[in-house]
Amino acid sequence: MAATQEPSLQPRRAAELLDRVEKNIHLVIVGKDRVVRLALAGLVAGGHILLQDLPGTGKTMLARALATSVGGIFRRIQCTPDLLPSDITGSSVFNQKDLTFEFIPGPIFAHIVLADEVNRTTPRTQSALLEAMGEGQVTVEGTTRVLERPFFVVATQNPAEFHGTYPLPESQLDRFVLAEEMGPPTDSEALEVLARREHGDPIAELSAVIDIREVIELQEACLRVVVAPAIRSYIVALLRAIRARPDVLLPASMRSGVYLQRAAQAWALFEGRDFVLPDDIKLLSGPVLAHRLGMKGRGRAADMLSEVVSTLPIPPLRQH
Amino acid sequence: MAALTRRLRLPSSPIENSVEARAFVFSAFAVAVLAIVLYGQDYVLPVLGIAGAAAGHVISYRERDRKRGFWRQVFLAVLVFGALFYLIADSSLALFGGVLPQANFAVLLVAITSFDLKTRRNCYSSLWISLAIVYLAAVYAWDYEFGLLLALWALCLGGFWASSHLRRMNLQMRFPARAIAVAGVAALIAGVALFVATPQPSGVPISPLIVSLPNFTSFRGDIESAALPLVQLTGDPSGANGSVDLHFRGRLGDTPVMYVRTGAPAYWRGLAFDRYADGAWTASIHGYREMQPYVPPRFLPPAPKDNLGTFVQTFRVLRPMPAVINAAYPIESLYAPVAALREDAYGTFHTPDQLRPGQTYSVVSYVPNLTQAVLQAEPPLDPAFLDLYPGHAALYTDAGRLSPRARTVAVHVAGSNSSEYDRVMALTGYLQHNFRYTLDLPRVPTGVDPVDWFLFDVKTGYCEQFATALALMLRSLDIPARLVTGYATGDYDAVLNQAVVRERDAHAWVEVWFPNHGWVPVDPTPGVSPLAATTFPSHWAAGGLARLLPHLTIGAPAAGLGSLGALAVVPAAVAVGLAVVLAYAWVRRRRWHSGAKAQPGESELLRLYERLQRRLGRRRAPPETPLEYQKTMPSALLEEVTRAVNEGAYAGRWPDPARLRKLALRVPAKSRRRL
Repeated sequence: MAATQEPSLQPRRAAELLDRVEKNIHLVIVGKDRVVRLALAGLVAGGHILLQDLPGTGKTMLARALATSVGGIFRRIQCTPDLLPSDITGSSVFNQKDLTFEFIPGPIFAHIVLADEVNRTTPRTQSALLEAMGEGQVTVEGTTRVLERPFFVVATQNPAEFHGTYPLPESQLDRFVLAEEMGPPTDSEALEVLARREHGDPIAELSAVIDIREVIELQEACLRVVVAPAIRSYIVALLRAIRARPDVLLPASMRSGVYLQRAAQAWALFEGRDFVLPDDIKLLSGPVLAHRLGMKGRGRAADMLSEVVSTLPIPPLRQH
Repeated sequence: MAALTRRLRLPSSPIENSVEARAFVFSAFAVAVLAIVLYGQDYVLPVLGIAGAAAGHVISYRERDRKRGFWRQVFLAVLVFGALFYLIADSSLALFGGVLPQANFAVLLVAITSFDLKTRRNCYSSLWISLAIVYLAAVYAWDYEFGLLLALWALCLGGFWASSHLRRMNLQMRFPARAIAVAGVAALIAGVALFVATPQPSGVPISPLIVSLPNFTSFRGDIESAALPLVQLTGDPSGANGSVDLHFRGRLGDTPVMYVRTGAPAYWRGLAFDRYADGAWTASIHGYREMQPYVPPRFLPPAPKDNLGTFVQTFRVLRPMPAVINAAYPIESLYAPVAALREDAYGTFHTPDQLRPGQTYSVVSYVPNLTQAVLQAEPPLDPAFLDLYPGHAALYTDAGRLSPRARTVAVHVAGSNSSEYDRVMALTGYLQHNFRYTLDLPRVPTGVDPVDWFLFDVKTGYCEQFATALALMLRSLDIPARLVTGYATGDYDAVLNQAVVRERDAHAWVEVWFPNHGWVPVDPTPGVSPLAATTFPSHWAAGGLARLLPHLTIGAPAAGLGSLGALAVVPAAVAVGLAVVLAYAWVRRRRWHSGAKAQPGESELLRLYERLQRRLGRRRAPPETPLEYQKTMPSALLEEVTRAVNEGAYAGRWPDPARLRKLALRVPAKSRRRL
């Protein structure tokens, strides 16, 4: 492939950068290649991700390692029932010295925000957070303030506990590009984790491997990834097939189709491709779609999705 | 072209994976074939069709996941057209017309297409064709039992629908065998226990088991001579010489007696009777002449010059019938595949033995010109009649014991009309308009003359009463008349282009002597034309309309394709259709593209990809991405081709010709060795 004069990030270079970040994260996170890559893909796709699993599976560690690796500002919000919207966005404080109100920015003003146990806080606070996620800006006391760019929220949720929680409604879940479970470690992974922690916490030694400007370049490169008409019709066919399923109560929204396309574009960059393959769509259909589908009965959305993609014909290779 | 073929293509249908659903499709076909066998008496092809369909189902189930082979599709298409040609040839070239050619065609169609039942849509089309077979069988079925077959068919359809959908939802179809078995065994044990525990009365013999089932025999027609129900008392085992007794009446059912493929509607005339005594008609002249099975026109009275034309009738006997040739009269020539024929004194032909089911004979008759004007111009009756039948003239004018009041009515009704025709028509009209037709008649009281009873007491009757009354009243006016029996034309079946004559079509009418025209049939039964021979019943005219539709007249009688007339377009149309199908298949195979839109290298690469898949022995399944396919197939070449295909299909970068050639060279020749 001939090199172009464009200064923009080439797919091969993007793959190198991403590989570097992944390797860096793996200094801290043992295994979990898929989750790490998905989280990174969420960042590159310019969306937000939701990690669902039990406490202590490394959700926070992943978010912190990610933030450190890309050299951005990292803030953590521990969601509790008494958390107020202003605790997130920040508020004005009266300065006794010069008798003015001074705005103290909240934790939302960061590149990477970890919203821990997002289902523990009240719907009011949740919606303040989610509005910031959707709009990229917050309005405090009449003043609209633009958030950092890139702005990436990693929300975590503990699916096993229900007492004192406010589960995110489907419309809020729909705002996350990806949702994924960390999953339990294998024995060898667990041994490795213990070994690494024997003499301290490796995260303290972690350093940035790319800077935040390169993250923005990656996000721009993601937008340039080609999505062929066949891929688009595959996404449409997939959404239609899900809608036609008798066991689906709440089908996939159009927004989810858009997110699927964007996530697939980001995924292509990891392999240095400048085009999306149907394999990307197949692989990402679970993480992108499963958490927003309402199922009838006890069937799992992820199982249903894997069944759909394994039977749905891909669009013909021949377009003409 | 590509856009056109894409538009012509049907939306895809899911592959039918359910064995139960396929079993239901086959069962529906089996039910349809059973219906044809039972009601159409068509045996050979349906049985072959069942065997073929069974094999086809097995093969198409095994190969449901494979792509359809091009040459096999072509072969199946050729077979379908072959079946179509067979249908045309069978119905037009066979001596007496084919046996149910449409049903045979449908059976063949199902059997052939059974080899290609891949998707659910295929299964549905198979079902619908078997429904068409059921419909064809329904033409012959006039009993309640046919409803059972219909219900069975519907059950198969429902079963197919249910099991297909259950399979799609990944649920199992389960027959509640265990529950039914438990319930059955429990009922048996309970019954035995009850029987054992109940004290039995001693000394009383156990009566035979009485099963009360509804009895429909009164509707079915249970008569002594099934095919000639009006002739009740037969002295001859062949049933040919009989009498018509007005005291008895056979119950006439709906069972078809014979099919008649005919160029014109007519009454199928059988026996004639001349002597009436004690309420019964008998034939008094027993002379006959022996003839060869083929009776050429020169042996029979020549047709008058003014006849309206000749027409052929082919009869296929469905039930054992007396040894009488029922046919339209006057006959010009006839052929019956028997040892010999006898013509009796009344012009009726007899065969040596009973006519058996499946036996056929054909008759050429002419339509005499017997319009009102012609008959009115007849000279008055004179003793010329006596010359023709010496010694019998008195017989034909013997009114027997016709009561004086009936004679008075005859004289009164005939009035002052001078011509014989007017007097005959006056009496016929009198009977048609003043008496009611019914088959539901009480028994004639003993000691009463049935004719007098009919004319003055009940004033209702059926054809025999009407015909007898007319014949006797005409005789009382010295007009020679006699009774003839036979069958009405029957129901015209446009699908088969033949008349279905049933038991209830049995009929009796009168023949009146006109000096210049001989015996002229006159029908006094209400609701029909008095001069039946020259008018077309309306349902036949409606049936004639159906002939305009080519597919309905495929079974038209024809000596060969040359005489098909307008139908000659059918083979041509079939040939054109075959050409179109082959051309379409070729286009789809070649994937002709105008080149305006296709990228250079696209078609070549994709064809190469297809060829490589064939060489590898397993083709990419539709849900499989090229990459997934490649991962299951260890082949370095495939890896390279897959990369190129992905780049082309999903990035729009098709390879240049040089690279393509290099790839193509590496594709091995036709062998299944691993790459």
